[in-house]
Amino acid sequence: MRRATLFVGLVVFAWLLWDTGADPTRLLRGAPWILDFLRRMMPPDLAVLPAALTGAVKTVEIALLGTAVAAVLALPLGFLSARNVAPAPVFYPARVVLNFFRSVDTLVYALIFVAAVGLGPFPGVLAVIAYTTTSLAKLYSEAIEGIDPGPVDAVTATGATRLQVLRYGVLPQVLPLFLSYVLYRLETNIRAATVLGFVGAGGIGFYLQTYLRMIDYPAASTALLVTIVMVMVVDALSSRLRARLV
Amino acid sequence: MIEVAGLRVVLPPAVLAVDGVDLVIRPGEFVVILGRSGAGKTTFLRAINRLVEPTAGSVRVAGRPVTGADPAALRAARRQIGMVFQQFNLVRRASVLDNVLAGRLGYVPTLSSLLGRFPTRDRDLALDCLSQVGLSHLAIRRADTLSGGEQQRVAIARALAQAPAVILADEPTASLDPALTTDIMGILQSINTERGLTLVVSQHQLETALAYASRIVGFRAGRVAFDGPPAAVTAAVVDAIYGAR
Repeated sequence: MRRATLFVGLVVFAWLLWDTGADPTRLLRGAPWILDFLRRMMPPDLAVLPAALTGAVKTVEIALLGTAVAAVLALPLGFLSARNVAPAPVFYPARVVLNFFRSVDTLVYALIFVAAVGLGPFPGVLAVIAYTTTSLAKLYSEAIEGIDPGPVDAVTATGATRLQVLRYGVLPQVLPLFLSYVLYRLETNIRAATVLGFVGAGGIGFYLQTYLRMIDYPAASTALLVTIVMVMVVDALSSRLRARLV
Repeated sequence: MIEVAGLRVVLPPAVLAVDGVDLVIRPGEFVVILGRSGAGKTTFLRAINRLVEPTAGSVRVAGRPVTGADPAALRAARRQIGMVFQQFNLVRRASVLDNVLAGRLGYVPTLSSLLGRFPTRDRDLALDCLSQVGLSHLAIRRADTLSGGEQQRVAIARALAQAPAVILADEPTASLDPALTTDIMGILQSINTERGLTLVVSQHQLETALAYASRIVGFRAGRVAFDGPPAAVTAAVVDAIYGAR
């Protein structure tokens, strides 16, 4: 049985290698071109630094606004899709809706919103909201499903209403987790927002893509370095905040 | 006053936890429910305020029907039934005072309570209840920084804050050191004698039960196997409740 599984696994792996055209020798042959690319990026063109910084700030703004709005919108959705607080007729449809919208990535949402409202940071914000709301709702609902039922029983026993039970029995247990998830999402959204510019949804990605198209590699490398520093700074700040929450 | 008639509770998937219990508990009684674990003590207590849904039978508390009550009537009935749990069931991250204030939720306006606001009167009452269990100095501490015995006293204060007619306590000392048992049982006793509250307390410790109860109800396999004053608990009765069969 185990041998059969291993054999099937190897066959699938081999087929995947063949079907994707995966060929290590091709990578080796291409290596000099990567080096050439990197060499042409040096030294970074600092003249575009102000523009790159402006773009980076936009990207952070897109991620911040989008994540903040999504964090709030996800609250009702999270409760409605938690098995232990929502009644079954609500829970099942809510789960389906979440899984449907979550299966589309932020970038795809950005394409849709750019088509709908035009270029700029606004479609980026909308895209971040669309994806983050459902993905946070899913994380929220899992946190809610993992709570200690004891305090919920105790608050229910006082004669509290359903909403009061959520507020006093459930929310205090999950709030720190929620905040931690929001910060984690903020980190990933900074990265996602970087790429959003590629499809015209504003931010540093727009500059990076423009420079690459203009074959202005030194300028592109400045944009890239700014992106790296931006992501690292946000990650560091956010993980420091998260450590405090637990 | 608690009136239970023909109570049956089947827990999912198919466990007959309470199998036809008739019991009338008069105001001011201190009833201790004895029985082995699995005898149905916890389920019986939880059926009284419908934390567990009874399968059949009726429950009335202080004149209000609990079984068959619509959601609003059920909340009104629950308000007058304080409950103390084996695991204390405090909200660990909330302050001691906030935990006690939860006992007022059935009385305060829903909207402002959702915003975390309680009328001054209710805050005073909650502080009062805290001082009755001797913990007013810990009001602003986080609940999970307290010892087990202190947490159970906070839970008792929460039940008192409901201004209840009866208090149900499900093995309130089972998670505590033996030394704390007298502490908690003493507090419950003083509530019973000073406030005249009706108490229904489950216990698996025979000596503790006999020391505090005004009436003993022995459960066995979901049924009442004994019902009488502590003085009437003989070796034969103990055998009927706990003995191997």
